[in-house]
Amino acid sequence: MSAIPALGSLWRALGERRVTAVSVLVVMLAWVGATEGGLVDDLFLPSPSSLWDGFLDLVENGYKSRTIWEHAGLSLERVLSGFVTGALVGTFLGLAMGYNRKVEAFFSPLIEFLRPLPQLAYLVLLIVWFGIDETPQIILLFLTALPVSAIAAMDGVKGVSVLRMQAARSMGASEWQVFRYVVFPSALHEIFTGARLAVGVVYATLIAAEIIAGSTGLGWMILDAGRFLRSDYVFVGILAIGIMGLLLDRLLLAIEHRVVHWAGRD
Amino acid sequence: MSQDQFGVLDRRIFLKTALVSGAALTAGLPARSLLAAGKAPDTIRVGFFLETKPTMIAKGEGWFDKFAGGKCAWSEAGSGAEINTAMAAKSLDIGLAIGSSPTAAGISQKLPYQLVGMVDNIGPAEDMIVRKAANIKKPADFKGKKVATPFGSTSHFRLLGFLKVNNLTEKDVTVLDLRPDAEVAAWTRGDIDAAYVWSPAKAKMLAAGGESFPTYKELDAKGYVIADLIVAATAFSTAYPDAVTGFLRAYGNALEMWKTKPADAAAIVAKQAGVTPDVARHDMEEYDFVTLDHQLSGDWLGSPGKAGKFAEVLKRTADFLVVQKSIKAAPDLGSFQKAINTTFLAQAAKAKT
Repeated sequence: MSAIPALGSLWRALGERRVTAVSVLVVMLAWVGATEGGLVDDLFLPSPSSLWDGFLDLVENGYKSRTIWEHAGLSLERVLSGFVTGALVGTFLGLAMGYNRKVEAFFSPLIEFLRPLPQLAYLVLLIVWFGIDETPQIILLFLTALPVSAIAAMDGVKGVSVLRMQAARSMGASEWQVFRYVVFPSALHEIFTGARLAVGVVYATLIAAEIIAGSTGLGWMILDAGRFLRSDYVFVGILAIGIMGLLLDRLLLAIEHRVVHWAGRD
Repeated sequence: MSQDQFGVLDRRIFLKTALVSGAALTAGLPARSLLAAGKAPDTIRVGFFLETKPTMIAKGEGWFDKFAGGKCAWSEAGSGAEINTAMAAKSLDIGLAIGSSPTAAGISQKLPYQLVGMVDNIGPAEDMIVRKAANIKKPADFKGKKVATPFGSTSHFRLLGFLKVNNLTEKDVTVLDLRPDAEVAAWTRGDIDAAYVWSPAKAKMLAAGGESFPTYKELDAKGYVIADLIVAATAFSTAYPDAVTGFLRAYGNALEMWKTKPADAAAIVAKQAGVTPDVARHDMEEYDFVTLDHQLSGDWLGSPGKAGKFAEVLKRTADFLVVQKSIKAAPDLGSFQKAINTTFLAQAAKAKT
């Protein structure tokens, strides 16, 4: 009888952070329980200990003639190059599209077409056009980030209240001043959200990009290890990509909080 | 869609097995002979490659279905790794023409299948192509050059063997992981200097400023033999031994046709693979299609109870893959000998047409 209210107060006492901790703990326990007891074959799901061994092995000996840090560094370089260029161009394009209907009419079919296109579909074309160096990989990531950022920026501009723009104009602001001091700051929150989404999709596309001219990068490592069902390396690679993506996302969030400190205080 | 199909099939096999063993128990007979009596599976799930080989004759003419006694459900694989993955997931009954290096990896990882026959000895069919302009005349000339190959394939294994035999490392030579179609694209742009691959990519590069740089003889002599094999899921071959025998018999007939009527054979293969008969014939002439009888000799798989030399090839391949860190560990030679089951092959060879 008394167990139920006790559980209730326990539930209330649990902060969200603690709930997150419980969720992670449950997954970990299920993982250990399923693998260490030999219930699940290593091929399907490596145990935490074999994952740890795999990680140490990768750190010590690297993967196929490169250290794990080199692979991670190259991946990060590609992700950042593709993301920064794609997000910048996309944001400018989106701002212009949100501000001017003719610009929107011109670019939106291209962007709408590009956005849902699976990258693997044009992989060979990218090789034919740009070769097998870094260029086609970065272009692929650029093309992934661009539409996401553009649409976010466009929506941001469209969401700016007309009242505010009119107020600025009535006080004699020029078109540029309206854009610079009203439209852009108001859209900034959406732009950052778009950037965070873009990092996500760029990371998701990393494996496709690294198929192009393989033998380097975490995405390629996952792909190559998967060919021989080396689930330990695959999991280490997935965790590494996941953690790097999470850190980048947190970094963007921190920048956003600093830059757009007025967000949500309309 | 295929998932459902597989699920249904598994259940069907299970039911049948349960029924048969139930009957065996009541009749007081050994279950095994009765299991063999339930010899015709409804569907045989075959993973295959679309390629110019006699396998395509037996497929196109419906011989596999006819001799195995069941309808073959064909799924095209992109690589041996895909066949291994599907076998691990118990979604395939037979893997047709899987390369020796993925097979060695699969046996090492205790995938639930056995090696039951060979499609071919690859020989010169997979070899090095170099760009004439790159001026590569001897192995040392590969230093600083870019060589592409599909990673995880038999070609990759041979290429790494080539580097090792010639004291080259992946620091001297840039080895790139490219699918055959991507290799042709990169070759056309002049981005790679050489490639280790099979036709049609090989033929296209030869036609576009490439020349061959033969490596296979030396590598075969040094133990880097590569072959395409037939694997059968152990659960399937136990339940339907006659189907496996029939499958191999169908391939034996196709080999016979290629040997006696090459023009007719090439025409059928060409139609299946979507190339001209000339191309099909030329491609097939590069392979060494080992007859069923010869597969049973000590040079290759050996006969039941007497393992042939090929088990050593698999063992060496697996050891190499361990050094490459592709697989964790390789079992001893005995495990490879045990993974080769030639009983079906022996019966198929005896049965002849």
